[in-house]
Amino acid sequence: MRLDGDERAALLSIVETLRPRLGADARTTPRAYDEPELEEEYARLMRPEVEASRDADIELVRESLRAEGDRRELDDSQALCWARALNHLRLAAGGLLGIEEDGWEEVVDPALLETAEFSMLMALGWMQERIVQSLEG
Amino acid sequence: MAASQAPVEVPVESPVRRERTVRDMGWNVVVWNDPITLMSYVVLVLRRLFGYDQETATKLMLQVHNEGRAVVAKQPREQAEISVTRLHAFGLQATLARG
Repeated sequence: MRLDGDERAALLSIVETLRPRLGADARTTPRAYDEPELEEEYARLMRPEVEASRDADIELVRESLRAEGDRRELDDSQALCWARALNHLRLAAGGLLGIEEDGWEEVVDPALLETAEFSMLMALGWMQERIVQSLEG
Repeated sequence: MAASQAPVEVPVESPVRRERTVRDMGWNVVVWNDPITLMSYVVLVLRRLFGYDQETATKLMLQVHNEGRAVVAKQPREQAEISVTRLHAFGLQATLARG
């Protein structure tokens, strides 16, 4: 992966902007059960593990973006971390934009096009797609 | 006269325990559609977490996309919960429910 200084700075800014939104809504804090008692138990016992994994992925991305040099060699595990982190951040951006239905890419609300969050969503999606393609060989 | 042998205890599984075991096998791991998550990413996650080939993972992804949800695995409850936890860690919307 090759990112010049400007690209790294832009991505880091996106990460820092969206990171606080994680855990703020149902999309970024998905439930596991329909039954309230089982869901409460899952939230107590398992959700901290999910959040720790998410935070670790995002921290890896942040460290990678802060490091000097344009070239990044990612092994399979690191590439998966990036793919996960980008997905979490995209969910946060989607939440901010209020995207709830499929088809939003085909018919874009002109008001959305003007927002920084939309640009973030598209940029992260482009990057995530590239990483997924490299992981799939 | 031959010496008598001590009786051997043979464990017998109670019908209730057997029924609980059978019921526990039937938990569905369900992945739900989300308009943000890339389809290619969903395929990758299904392949990595469940070992599906490209065709099976793609078929399941399309079911999620077109029908709103898909059962991606049937597992005992504990295993299904771990699967859902992993799916959540990948950012997918996933639940488990009795099959």
